[in-house]
Amino acid sequence: MSAGGSDGTADRPADQAAEEEEGPSQAGSAMPSVELPRKRKGEVEERQILNFNLEDDLCRSEEEDQQVKMKCFREPHRQIEKRRRDKMNNLIDELSAMIPACQPMARKLDKLTVLRKAVQHLKALKAGASGAFTDTKHKPSILPQDELRHLLLRAADGFLLVVRCDRAKMLFISESVSKILNFSKLELTGQSLFDFIHPKDIHKVKEQLSSSEMLPQQRLVDASTGVQVQADAHVRPSHLATGARRSFFCRMKHSRVTGKHEDKHSLPGVSKKKETYRYCTLHCTGYMRTWPSSQLDPEADCTDKETSSLNCLVTVCRLHPPVSHQPPKDVNIKATEFVTRCAIDGKFTFVDQQATTVIGYLPQEVLGTSCYEYFHQDDLQHLAGKHRQVLRSKEKVETQCYKFKTKHGSYVMLQSQWFSFTNPWTKEVEFIVSSNKVVSGPGNAKDESEAGSSTLAHEEAKQILEIPGLSTGVGMMIYAGSIGTQIANELGDTYRANSSPSSEASSPFGSVQEKCPLTSRSTSSREEEAGSSSHSQSLADSSKEASGSSEAECRGSFICLALFKHNCRSKS
Amino acid sequence: AISREAARRRRRVESDVFGDLSRLLPLQASVRAHLDKPSIIRLTLSFIRMQALLRGENRQTEINWLEEMYLKILEGFLMVLSTTGDMIFLSDNVSKYMGLSQTELMGHNIFEYTHPCDHEEIRHNLRLTAGWKKCRENNKHKDFVMRIKSALTHRGRVGNLKSTTWKVLHCQGRVKLCVASSSVSCLLLTCRPLPLSHTLLSTHTFTSQHGMDMRFTYCDQRVTSLLGYRPEELLGRSIYDLCHTLDTSCLNKNHLNLCLKSQSVSGQYRMLVRSGGYVWVESHSAVIPGVQPSRSRPNPSQPLCILSVTYVLSGVEEPSLQLSLDQTFPRYPR
Repeated sequence: MSAGGSDGTADRPADQAAEEEEGPSQAGSAMPSVELPRKRKGEVEERQILNFNLEDDLCRSEEEDQQVKMKCFREPHRQIEKRRRDKMNNLIDELSAMIPACQPMARKLDKLTVLRKAVQHLKALKAGASGAFTDTKHKPSILPQDELRHLLLRAADGFLLVVRCDRAKMLFISESVSKILNFSKLELTGQSLFDFIHPKDIHKVKEQLSSSEMLPQQRLVDASTGVQVQADAHVRPSHLATGARRSFFCRMKHSRVTGKHEDKHSLPGVSKKKETYRYCTLHCTGYMRTWPSSQLDPEADCTDKETSSLNCLVTVCRLHPPVSHQPPKDVNIKATEFVTRCAIDGKFTFVDQQATTVIGYLPQEVLGTSCYEYFHQDDLQHLAGKHRQVLRSKEKVETQCYKFKTKHGSYVMLQSQWFSFTNPWTKEVEFIVSSNKVVSGPGNAKDESEAGSSTLAHEEAKQILEIPGLSTGVGMMIYAGSIGTQIANELGDTYRANSSPSSEASSPFGSVQEKCPLTSRSTSSREEEAGSSSHSQSLADSSKEASGSSEAECRGSFICLALFKHNCRSKS
Repeated sequence: AISREAARRRRRVESDVFGDLSRLLPLQASVRAHLDKPSIIRLTLSFIRMQALLRGENRQTEINWLEEMYLKILEGFLMVLSTTGDMIFLSDNVSKYMGLSQTELMGHNIFEYTHPCDHEEIRHNLRLTAGWKKCRENNKHKDFVMRIKSALTHRGRVGNLKSTTWKVLHCQGRVKLCVASSSVSCLLLTCRPLPLSHTLLSTHTFTSQHGMDMRFTYCDQRVTSLLGYRPEELLGRSIYDLCHTLDTSCLNKNHLNLCLKSQSVSGQYRMLVRSGGYVWVESHSAVIPGVQPSRSRPNPSQPLCILSVTYVLSGVEEPSLQLSLDQTFPRYPR
């Protein structure tokens, strides 16, 4: 209803204590929009809409917010209650799914029992677990601190690092460093940070550690205006002292040796060898903090202890994921759509440029050719039917998925919406617009293999169809094109029939053209559709009777060609 | 009358059980007092799920004094999302970013609180293939930007629930599989807002401003020492021209994020160096109203521009590789 949460913008004082539905709502809506529940129960939704309409005028006219709400909720209060109950039931169901004691039950448990079992379960967890319950020092929370920390570092793929600013001594590193850099915590604590940083980044890190006021190149960015603030000589100390943020990237050594690190030390020979390290990029964010030195660095020498506090950099160093340049394979790419336009006989008159990415042909390569040349055999019947349909209907006609032959010989699955355009003055269909969408399906590979086999069949068929005087390729094209022409002719005849009742309906050979021996099975029904004349029937019979199917097919195709020529002549 | 009494008794018993349940939850007393029944169930669910998730994990307790700091250092909050998008757990500092408390939000579904245009992306990241630890999908690091509702006013105070704004969060994390039951497996995310706060910029960063089409409108001097271009050379040029072609999709995603969500982290990509080769960089950008030389209040009708802070991550790689015409022109034409 409004652009607020997907929850709808409920604003119901009746549920002041309401917890779930408090999704933020738009300010200033005078109508307490009765929210449409976002899931299930169609009837509830329906009733709500009805109620809303009834109350609508009433609500709008009211000034007082409170009054409005009271009036509007007389009716839908039932719905609100029902929704609340449903929500509670869902929660109870979820709860029973999580409690082991409730699971083996065959029938659904009632609310009270589930709650009681939940209490028992929590008591059991309390008895077994530590942390959240026994830790009285920290304030109670659903997740005890150390578990939180653990999860956090796991999520962040990082480790915590505390470094002394003056000597870059690593005072503390969390356990998780072993997962990221392959060094153990012990190996790193007390070491100098610079030993583990990529040589080229040392200068960068030095800068970040520095808290001295003497850095001339300090530049700060003011977030609100985006302007670089030049650090003056009398720069505000707050930027340098405790609390100053740091954020930088650096490369740290990643030990190649996985597993036990003790091996390195036990074999002196190995450690003497020059070890080449890999580096991984880390994003370090944190801030400067001051701590009493005694707490942090017990190993510090006497001179240090004089300075009571240490300036340290505390950061969380997160591993930067390795760069991958392939787009994720399961990204939802919008299906390629392209538009084509063809004459009523199916010959392309316009092809969108985008089509090339799908069908491989350039637009100019297909213009003038019949779309039937690209349709797969199996789809011919259904598409011809749709073709007929769209010529006679003012509505959009949707095809099922069908295969379209690409330039390379393979097939691509398409699904189209056809729409015919009628000349408003002549009332005749001028052209058909087709909006085609590429359909990707799980069986694509299979389709291709089928396509492969069907093209093979096609090849064979081509050889069989030996039309004297014509190459087989052309023969095939003529056959395909003729389907479209035939359908167009039928339409033309219909027009003529409508306009002048005296003219003949369809030529007696009408149906025969489609009765190419190759698709005799699929076209048989078409035959019935068109109303087979006895003549065509005998032709079919004779072709079947003839010795060997190949001869018959030849004859059949020859007849096709003849009829096609006949039609052409008759048209002109 | 009898039935009314029975109903009342039933309700009382139910309330008692709810009370017992709430007392068993590790919550502060002040929080507990304000919980209503569905909230109690939600929190109980969260608690049980987190226990199940963490069971079998061995971790050592480390020095206490650092514990409170983790979240502060990260400048964000932790979110644990179930496969259906329920926010099973949120760290308590979530109130600082969303204005709503941990107990108010925990157990609810994230799709109720995020911008509808981002739902697709969130769903994509939530797809966890149950069970297999080795599954590529599960091991991938997740990184995306989303807009979430925030009841905070500009000044940072908790505002009315009715007037919420969208806050942009950068979410990074990974999948955590539960060994016991795969339904408990979930996504661990750290969510951080992306303001370009007062960050100390080092010698290896430079700032730049761009129009909404990513053409440079300003670039700071630092770029010369890092990439070899003088700032004047860059003005009016699109950033797409200056980067490695294979990274176009990365830049594209960054650009889209900026246009839609107003903030973005680019991930690593390569910028071409004037004299040849490239460097790996990462940019953190945000859309801001056009900069005025005076500090007067920004005009709402001002043109927007993109402010970028680019961190240079590496040295110059493959210095003799020339990928664009720029790199072929000698620095000082004869």
